[in-house]
Amino acid sequence: MNRYGLLAFLLISTFLTISAQKNKIEFEEYDLPNGLHVILHQDNSTPIVAVSVLYHVGSKNERSDRTGFAHFFEHLMFEGSKNIPRGEYFQFVQGNGGNLNANTSFDRTFYYEILPSNQLGLALWLESERMLHLQIDSIGVETQRKVIKEEKKQRLDNQPYGSILEETFKRAYSVHPYQWTPIGSDQYIDQATIDEFMEFYKTYYVPNNATLSIAGDIKIEEAKNLIETYFSEIPKGNRKMNIPNVVEPPLTKVIQDTVYDNIQLPAVIQSYRIAPQGTADFYALEMLTTYLSQGKSSILRKALVDDKQSAVFTGAFPLPMEDEGQFLIFSIANMGTSVQDLQHQMDSIINYVQSNIMDEKSFQKLQNQVISNFVEQTSTQVGIAEALANYHVYFDDANLINTEIDKYLAVTPQQIQDVAKKYLNLNGRVVLHYLPKSAQKN
Amino acid sequence: MKNIKFLLFSTLVFISMFAQVDRTNPPKPGIAPKINIGKAESFTLENGLKVFVVENHKIPKVTFSFDFDYPFSVEGEKAGLSEIVGGLIGTGTESKSKSEIDESVDFIGANINSSSREISGSVLSKYTEDYFSILSDVILNAKFEPSELEKLQKQAVSGLKSEEAEPNSIASKVTNSLIFGKNSPYGENKTEQTVKSITLDDVKTFYKNNFIPNVTYLAIVGDINKNQAEKLVNKYLAKWQKGEVTKSDFEFARQPFVRKVSIVDRPNAVQSVIHVATPLKLKQDSKDLFAAKVANSILGGGFTSRLNLNLREKHGFTYGIRSSLMQDELMGSLDISCEVRNSVTDSSLSEILSEMKKMRNELVSAKELDAIKKYMIGNFALSLEQPETIAKFAINIAKYNLPADFYETYLEKIEKVTAEDVQAVSKKYFDPGKIHLIVVGSNEQIGTNLKKLSPNGKINYYDTYGNEVDISAKILPADITAEQIVDKYYEAIGGKEKISQIKDEQVIMKGNVQGYDLEISISRKFPNKFYFLLDLGIMQQIQKFDGKNAMVSGMQGEKILEGEELETMKIESEMNPLLRAKELGIELKLVGIEEVNGKKAYKIDVIKPKNNVTTEYYDISTGLKLQEISTRNTEQGQFTTTIVYGEYKDFNGYKFPASISQSVAGQSFDLTVESYIVNSGLEDGIFVVEKQQ
Repeated sequence: MNRYGLLAFLLISTFLTISAQKNKIEFEEYDLPNGLHVILHQDNSTPIVAVSVLYHVGSKNERSDRTGFAHFFEHLMFEGSKNIPRGEYFQFVQGNGGNLNANTSFDRTFYYEILPSNQLGLALWLESERMLHLQIDSIGVETQRKVIKEEKKQRLDNQPYGSILEETFKRAYSVHPYQWTPIGSDQYIDQATIDEFMEFYKTYYVPNNATLSIAGDIKIEEAKNLIETYFSEIPKGNRKMNIPNVVEPPLTKVIQDTVYDNIQLPAVIQSYRIAPQGTADFYALEMLTTYLSQGKSSILRKALVDDKQSAVFTGAFPLPMEDEGQFLIFSIANMGTSVQDLQHQMDSIINYVQSNIMDEKSFQKLQNQVISNFVEQTSTQVGIAEALANYHVYFDDANLINTEIDKYLAVTPQQIQDVAKKYLNLNGRVVLHYLPKSAQKN
Repeated sequence: MKNIKFLLFSTLVFISMFAQVDRTNPPKPGIAPKINIGKAESFTLENGLKVFVVENHKIPKVTFSFDFDYPFSVEGEKAGLSEIVGGLIGTGTESKSKSEIDESVDFIGANINSSSREISGSVLSKYTEDYFSILSDVILNAKFEPSELEKLQKQAVSGLKSEEAEPNSIASKVTNSLIFGKNSPYGENKTEQTVKSITLDDVKTFYKNNFIPNVTYLAIVGDINKNQAEKLVNKYLAKWQKGEVTKSDFEFARQPFVRKVSIVDRPNAVQSVIHVATPLKLKQDSKDLFAAKVANSILGGGFTSRLNLNLREKHGFTYGIRSSLMQDELMGSLDISCEVRNSVTDSSLSEILSEMKKMRNELVSAKELDAIKKYMIGNFALSLEQPETIAKFAINIAKYNLPADFYETYLEKIEKVTAEDVQAVSKKYFDPGKIHLIVVGSNEQIGTNLKKLSPNGKINYYDTYGNEVDISAKILPADITAEQIVDKYYEAIGGKEKISQIKDEQVIMKGNVQGYDLEISISRKFPNKFYFLLDLGIMQQIQKFDGKNAMVSGMQGEKILEGEELETMKIESEMNPLLRAKELGIELKLVGIEEVNGKKAYKIDVIKPKNNVTTEYYDISTGLKLQEISTRNTEQGQFTTTIVYGEYKDFNGYKFPASISQSVAGQSFDLTVESYIVNSGLEDGIFVVEKQQ
């Protein structure tokens, strides 16, 4: 038996042990007659409960002259309902010992409350109130308009490198609505009207476009009864949703640009079009990311940060999206390194992963890292609730919370090399050089 | 039959009652769950290392966290030393190189994070021992390589440079140095210089003296039990040598006697980062700690805090605001922070101050107090979901010498706080008159309005490291160049095109000095002929330059200029020299923004050949020149001349100041412009200088 054969055997046994070690997440799921999908996970070890609602609407469903709309609307969902006066929504949760928040992505909007477990009914009442009869008025809209513009400044405009996503995506897509990011533009945030919000609400915030996912210290039957009580009367929606079906033509050239930002250290961003999440290629791409930049011994970090000392930071990020997404490689230059040199070094690492298949040891490391990442997502109840909802909405298989790891572990070194060749196309990508404003010629 | 009907009826009623849920009120909660703080097991090694174990098998991972509680000290000229030492741990041991360590840690899917006082990481429980052997090797047998030190220093310097552009890290640094003091361990900031001065010997000594077991706490949390942990720790850490730490003296800054307003100028900022902060005499064992925590939560603790409801939900000034109370065994602090758009910076600060005032002046209502207690108690319970919390509680009790039941009675102590307690601590800790208002933002846009929040109208300016700076030297607008400002000026006085076509010009001004009427006439002819006449009645002064030769005449007689003086005269005689700056070898340098008589102005150094510098001030909004200051060396010594231009008036399509005031050597006189005539076809005659042999 040669060495590789032995290693391969060790590998297999390793996975079996680990797969068996991870606690299985048990859950129940069903639909209400109005189409609301419900997922319940019971874990009575800590007396808390996480209640979440995922609406399958994000910035990609927006009109091109109303960018930022889905996120704006997310803010308005906290304004109140027929039975909840403006400003009271937060008070109900926090005043009863809970926390709450929400976030909006390209593809979906996610709301959650975490409360002491005796307040499950309260959380369901609150979520059902705003699904049934949200109330928004001009005071709320105008206030949130301002708040959102501050949020945008805080996250993007006043933040070094804060505009990377925006600058990349507007160049990476020409027809697909991914060309704008969830935060949108001030111009359209200013133009959005209450009528448009109500239209949006009636179209997308309907039970048949929502998933209610609950995890924590619950009793399944009691939870089901409460859900029936508060959600069954919400009527099904029947308006046509705007689901983009445009096909973004392949990027066959290099779009290279310079962005002048309030920064001190220059940076290089490369972005490549990749397969949608959940595809075999996407799992291989995630493995490729880990290979490139997770851990200090990863090849990108070792080369750029340690050996050449040309970067203070480098990382590869495949963005999981329903339609074709982006694979970002982002490096911030160390003192004395030019963007040209930095880009050249990044390119040579890409060349390397395209022309070399990784050895067995690197591959085993990669698998260990992926397993280690995977178990993390189930460390909190809200993490479990969100993962269950995502798996259901995107892949119609909530049980991926237990089995998705198999998809990662099925990826071979050959596939990783293949996706590197297939997607990291040096002749069809977006390359941005971020330079300090002081370097800008007037 | 009748019975059946009745049964049916009642079922229907039941069903419809069930469907007709009362939505107008939230449902009544169930019985409140009992909050159990899990127990942390603990043991101490002979070398003094205190270990805390929290068993939790939810995920197959174990987290290790070393808390090095060596005494704080001022690092001074070596500021950044402890951070560098922390960063270097993990970059080499007696038996392993950095890349071998990195490779072995990554191989098992684990990680090691190290900083000045903490080294931690987690691992799949399957690899617990592999990992712990690496981790303990890294801590016990650290070997410091010069190349790794250099690498880290370079990264630290890059990091510092990078932070100069990050408004939030600037704000935290400056806030810490103001509230704790630049000469205290919490407030000192590393700089390029201090980082570069750190030597390998410094690192070795610091490591040897401080990374010792008897001041260290180790938390082990997750998929492991006490027995396993004890075996592991004994096997790998029993040999760790005890040591002795030395405490050093230092002083923290005190709460300011009056409100202080400080700005770190960031000319391009689209938002201001605000900190309202002060040091407090509040410690981990203060009697009123829980009342202070409750009061702070009401003021700025969560989404429903008064500050957030005011600044975000009422005014839309910010995306979010919070107030943090910090306390440890040495001291405490209050820090209220948010980010707001430039135009509402002063209003935001005023609202923050008035909310502080309200906390002091009014009793909190029973309803609000009850809600905040529920919020705090709930959050305490939620935090217990993370087993790390339980380990942290146990370590805090040991570290700060807290009563053993400190956390078990936590909820009780929150419950006991009264409205009167809240008001009392607010009076003690939330003093809007004795606090720092620190803003990182665009001084040009916010500076003037912030003055009114300062009791003496003074604003202190700081650089990004918390050093006080002279503002006039610092503010450099990045969105405009000196050349653009000059162009704007020529556009404002008639148009660049038109001004460049001026062949000659004559201005006549009148004034009064020491009781005598005074008339000045200045004539110029393109490119550099110059004639100046000052007529006091009792005497005249003339200066001339004809393109080649120059003379001055006055009470002392007549003098032909030569050498340096001639050169200077030649340069000063150019007509509209800034239109031909390049050709004339004039350098323009934008040096900042300053106020001139209440108007914001760009300040430009006009550096003429022979290093004659004139500083000119151009109105930001109108583009017009407001002031000129020049210093000239003459035989009589150095003279500084300041010319202030008054309101501009239209003279046949050209704008020229209607009044000019000039001061030189302590004397000043005001002049009124009588006429300004362009292209009247001046003869060469008046300019001619007759050189006497």
